[in-house]
Formats: sequence, C-alpha cells, structure tokens
Amino acid sequence: MAETKTIALLGQPNSGKSTLFNNLTGLHQHVGNWPGKTVERAEGFFCYNDVEYKVVDLPGSYGLSANSEEEVVTRNFIWNGVADLTCVLVDASQLERSLYMLADFVGVRSPVMLVLNMMDVAEAAGKKIDVKAIEKKLGIPVLGFSAAEISRYPEFFKKMEAAIKHPTCLDSADLREELNAGGETPLHMLEEILDDLKIGNSENLWLAVKLLENDKLVRKAVKDALPFARRNAVESILNSADGRDGGIATGEAKYRWISKIVKETCGEKSPEKVFGKWDRIATHRIKGKIFSFVIMVVSLICCMILAFPGMGIGFGLQPVLQSLVERVCGALGLWPVVASFINNVLVGGTCITICMTSFIFSIIFVFRILEEIGYMARFSYAFDNWLSRLGLHGKAIMPLFSGIGCTAGAVCGTRVLDTRGQRLLALVLLWAIPCGSKVAVVLFLASTFFGSAAAFFALGYVALIFASFWLSSFLFGKKLVPENERVGMIMELPPYHKPHWKMIAAMVGRSTWGIFKKALKMILMVAALFWALSYASDGNVENTILYKIGNAIEPVTMFFGMRWELFISYLGGMFSKEASLGIMSTLFNHTGEAFSLVTRVAASDNLGEVLANTISKPEALAFIFASMFNVPCVLAMGTTYREVGTIKWLATIMGYYIALSLGLAFIGYHIGLLIF
Amino acid sequence: MQQEKVGTISLGEMIENSSGCIAKIDGDSRFISRIISIGLTPGSSFTLLKNDGRSPVLVFCRDTVIAVNRRECSQIYVKVEA
Repeated sequence: MAETKTIALLGQPNSGKSTLFNNLTGLHQHVGNWPGKTVERAEGFFCYNDVEYKVVDLPGSYGLSANSEEEVVTRNFIWNGVADLTCVLVDASQLERSLYMLADFVGVRSPVMLVLNMMDVAEAAGKKIDVKAIEKKLGIPVLGFSAAEISRYPEFFKKMEAAIKHPTCLDSADLREELNAGGETPLHMLEEILDDLKIGNSENLWLAVKLLENDKLVRKAVKDALPFARRNAVESILNSADGRDGGIATGEAKYRWISKIVKETCGEKSPEKVFGKWDRIATHRIKGKIFSFVIMVVSLICCMILAFPGMGIGFGLQPVLQSLVERVCGALGLWPVVASFINNVLVGGTCITICMTSFIFSIIFVFRILEEIGYMARFSYAFDNWLSRLGLHGKAIMPLFSGIGCTAGAVCGTRVLDTRGQRLLALVLLWAIPCGSKVAVVLFLASTFFGSAAAFFALGYVALIFASFWLSSFLFGKKLVPENERVGMIMELPPYHKPHWKMIAAMVGRSTWGIFKKALKMILMVAALFWALSYASDGNVENTILYKIGNAIEPVTMFFGMRWELFISYLGGMFSKEASLGIMSTLFNHTGEAFSLVTRVAASDNLGEVLANTISKPEALAFIFASMFNVPCVLAMGTTYREVGTIKWLATIMGYYIALSLGLAFIGYHIGLLIF
Repeated sequence: MQQEKVGTISLGEMIENSSGCIAKIDGDSRFISRIISIGLTPGSSFTLLKNDGRSPVLVFCRDTVIAVNRRECSQIYVKVEA
C-alpha cells in the first residue's frame, strides 16, 4: 500500500453519517479528541483495492458556519484541505432541506462527492430522484445510497474510488448568480474587494458569503490578510444596512439554488402529510410525556431482557470456573495464593466484566434502535422544557433515565447528545442517578438499620438526587453549556424509519467488544490491586495491608462518621456496588477464610444482624449517605473516561462526587449524633 | 415589537393547521444561521402542525417537521394565508 487517502464525512444530524462511518470502518476505528479541542475526533480505516483509506467523521454541524466548537473543528478541517475527498451526506427523503449542507460547501475548492442517503425511504415515499441528472447539473459524483444496507456498499466504494482518481469541485457560477440576483449587492462589492485574496482552500465568493453571515472567524482572517484600505472598505460594507442582515439574503439564495436543482432533477412530488396520529400523541404536552415515559420503561425492560443471557453467563460461569480452578490447583499442588489470585482476580474479574458489558450492549442497542426509528427526537421534544432548565437538551432524558438500569450503559448512551459540553453535563448529572445495584445496597442498609423508616430514605434519596441535579447544573452548567450557546430547541423531528436490526446489532456488537476489552483490562487491574491489599496467607484479617491502612486512616475517616471497615466498604463500592456489601460481610464476620472481597458479590446471610449489632445509628446514617452519592462502579468510570477523553475530567467528576458523598456523610453523622 | 406589514404575526400566535409564509426573521447571526440551516427562510411556506401554548411549536416546511422553541418563535414573523 503506497499511501493513505483521507475521506471526510460531512452531514447534518440524521443524515446517516455515523451509520456510514461505522459500516465503512468496522472495528478499525479510533476515537480521541481534536488537538487542543474538547471535541470528539472519530477516525477509522478501511482498505479497498489495495489502497488504505482513512475516514474522518466530522463532528455534527448544520452547515459550515462557526457557531459551536464542533462546527469550528469541522470547518477548519475542510478549510485546510486535508481530505482527498469530502463526502457530503444528505437525506434524500428531505432533499430540499438537507442539500443546504452542499450549498454551504459551494465555493470550497476541495474535491467533493454527494451521497444521497436513505434513497430507500425516499423511494418508498414515492419521490422520484434522478441521480444522473443531479450529477450532470452539479458536475460532481453523486451516489444514490442507503447507508444501512450492507449490500449497497460496493456501489459506494466504486464511486468513491473514481471520485478520488478524478477529483472534481463544485462549480460556484450558479450560486453566484443567485446571490447576486439583486444587481449591485454587497456580496458583489465584497467579492471585488477581496479580489485575489486566498485563505484556506475557499474561493472569495465563499469568504464573502461568510462575511455577510457575520462569521467572526472569517471576519478576523480576512481582516488579518487584507491591507488597511481594503480592510476598511470591507468593514464599511458590512456595517451598511444591506450588509447587516446576518445572512438571511445568502440563506435565501442558497435555497433558491437548491430549489432549481431539485425542480430540474426530481419529479413533481405530491404533497403528503407526515404528521400522523402517533406524532399527535407523542408531541402532546401531557400525553406526550406519559407516552414517552411508557416507552422509556418498556425500553428499560427490553434492556434487562437483552442483558439477561450475558448476566446469566457471567454469574453462572463464576462458581463453575472457581471450583475447577481450585481442583486443578489442588491437584497440581500449587500454593494456595495462586488459586486465590486466579479465582478472585482473573475468574471473578472476567465474570463481572461479562455481566456488566452485557448491560452496556443492551442499552446501546436499544438506544440505537430508538434513534434509528426516530423516537429519540420525540423524547427530546417532550422533555425539552424540563431539561433546558438544567442546561441540557431534551435528548438527555433517555441516557439519564436508563441510568436507573446501569450507569455504565447510560454513560455510553450520552453519545446521542450533539455537543461535548452537553455530554459532559449529562454525565455529571448521570452519576447521581443510582443504578439498580446501588438502590439495592442503599435500601438494604436503610432497612437493616431503620426498619420500616427505610421508605423515608427512599423518598429522601429521590429528593436529594434532584437537589444534586440543581447543584451540578449550577456548578458545571455555566461552564459546559455557556449561556450564549443555549439556543432554544430548533430541531427536526425525523420521519419514522424502519430499524435495520441486523446492521445495528453488528454495529453495537463491535463497539461493545471494544468496550469489553478495555473494561476487562481495567477491572483486572483494579481487582488485582484490591486482592493484593486484602490477601493474607493465613486468612487473618489483621495481617492484610488493607487492615493496616484502614487502621491508620481511621482517625480521619471517623471525621465523616465511618470506621475503617465502613470506609473500606465505601471504597469497595467504587469497584462494584455489590462489592461494598461483600466487603462488609467479610470484615465484620471475621471469617477465617482468605479475603474474597472484590468478587464476593453477595452479602452473607447474617450480615444485617451483624451490622445492626456492631454499628451505631449515626454511623449507619453516615454510611448510607456516603453510599448514595458514591462514585459509580469501575466500569462506569471506565466508560466515562472513554467519553470524556481526559483524566482531568474524570478526576473532576470523581472528586465532585467523593466530596459530595463524604460531605453528606459528615452532615448525616453529626445530625445523627444529635438525634440518637 | 413593531409589526412591519399588515397581517404579519409572530409564529407563536398562529393557529394549528393553518398555513403561512415566513415574512421576516429577527435575531443575532447565530440564531439566523441555525434557523436557516434547518430550512426556515423568509419566503418559505409552511404548515403549522402544533401550537398548544407551552411546548415548542411544530411546523412542516421543506418536507420536514421542525420544532421551534417558544422564545425563538417570537423572532419569526409570518404572513398567514387565508
């Protein structure tokens, strides 16, 4: 392979960009950050006819303006002309609207190919699109496509290969004519002043359009590049009455350009109603919320059912493998430490990872289906009013809600949000939502110590979660989602699509496999650490490193109302929620066996009794509060790290929740001391 | 908010299931860029699908159902078709 060709994917949300990206690159993808930016950079590779292609999935944007960090990244990438080919994806079923991205691309001197995605949907809706005619009209390669149908990919490869061999750019003459329809327009004057100015790979028509659209970055670039007199001339045009419409005239011209193409190349379409009975319900002020809620609950149940086989394998395998390991090690006459390591770290860690990733798979799968169907946008619509108060987009409701099932899965679900700021804010809020295991632990503790008063704990917990939302939004919201970026909801409700089950399952399977590998590594490492700290050859608790550390820091932890056993359990809760009960069972029972802290998921039968006899009520209160807002399990932290991309952010969120949980423990303990 | 033309009202004041044509869009360039990129421009005709007084307004324009927040609606002026 001689060289790598770079293909950039450009398209509005819902254009099917990520489907194309995933199907092109499969497992060969890398997600990181754009240098110096907090925007996700997704890249992947594939080979075709012995040539390697690098695919860059440009971050979501609606056009080539520069109104968000994502859009700036996208625009700079195109501006710099790194790509050998840019594929502009549009939704063929909404050609008149989605061709806007291409209209915004006119004037960029960069090889381009147009992909009319979702041709199947357009055809089913009775639209006649003459791909050949569009190709002739635009002078660039145009492909009628359906990114979800694997069988159509050979067409894509062929077209793309040819497009790279014979690169063609969009011709700007027609758009220029539309833009200058009014005669002596400010655009025309600007173009004359810019004259031979070259910035990036754009024609000065494109620059002039962006100047009129009040694009601050282009304005600065032009200012820096022009000599004084011409710079002033540009400014005076932009400050004149005609120059200040902020891009309405250019927008109209772009749509006129689109209309002409569509009229000349597509058959007359019959007006159709797309707003059916379902949408009337889904968007109703009250019914819509109830309807969405029902769908969310059903989705969550589907997640549980889907996760069930994986959970079964994980839980079922553990005892079988462990007894096998014990027998084999015994027969070989190995030291007990070996068997203990294999069982607790390797076998236990792997089984936990299988259980947890099966949940991740099911949540991502159900999310993708909901998004593909088009239901995700309806959720957003129904809950936007509530969530916008926290600075979030309505779409965040689904990841937040699924946090009740599994935090790690829900973390992966925050991908549905468009900007990184939104994703981060949703992640911060999400960590406060207890997963099923956390609820079980908290309720177990509450009912052990406070009997029937546990119900009040449940209610208080819910209230505290909402209070923490407010606090998190107050602390993080302004920075992550700045006030001036909070444009109220302006979004499309995509038409309902039939989901492509197989394709989605394959796509989600691939990304889950990636998560599984990373998670396994991390879980094994943490498990090994815990195991080393808690291993004693004679099985005596007092000979473990953990005991020594615990005793040493007890004066500090008692400040928060936690004796060392409880504090270690609190730390264990960071590994998995069940582990915190397992650790308590071992620590308070003083059983003679070697520690199996980490992977011991079940509480011993008499744990409640033992705890109630040993721990005072204020201490219990402290521990319950600490458990409520403890950080989620290690896998959720791992997936969070994957989403935020930097240790700094993971540490920030962790620090925030550790401070919050210990702070509440402190308050709980000291109030408890006064009451009891 | 002065009304520039007779018969021009803001998008939020329209009745459900009526059709109209966008007369004028106000706002900063950020908002204008966003609203134009989703397909609403002066001169485009549309049908108002939903306007219940609280949730975002839903319009059907260029083959697309578009939700527009209530506050933003007040910056979009429309001419209602009889």
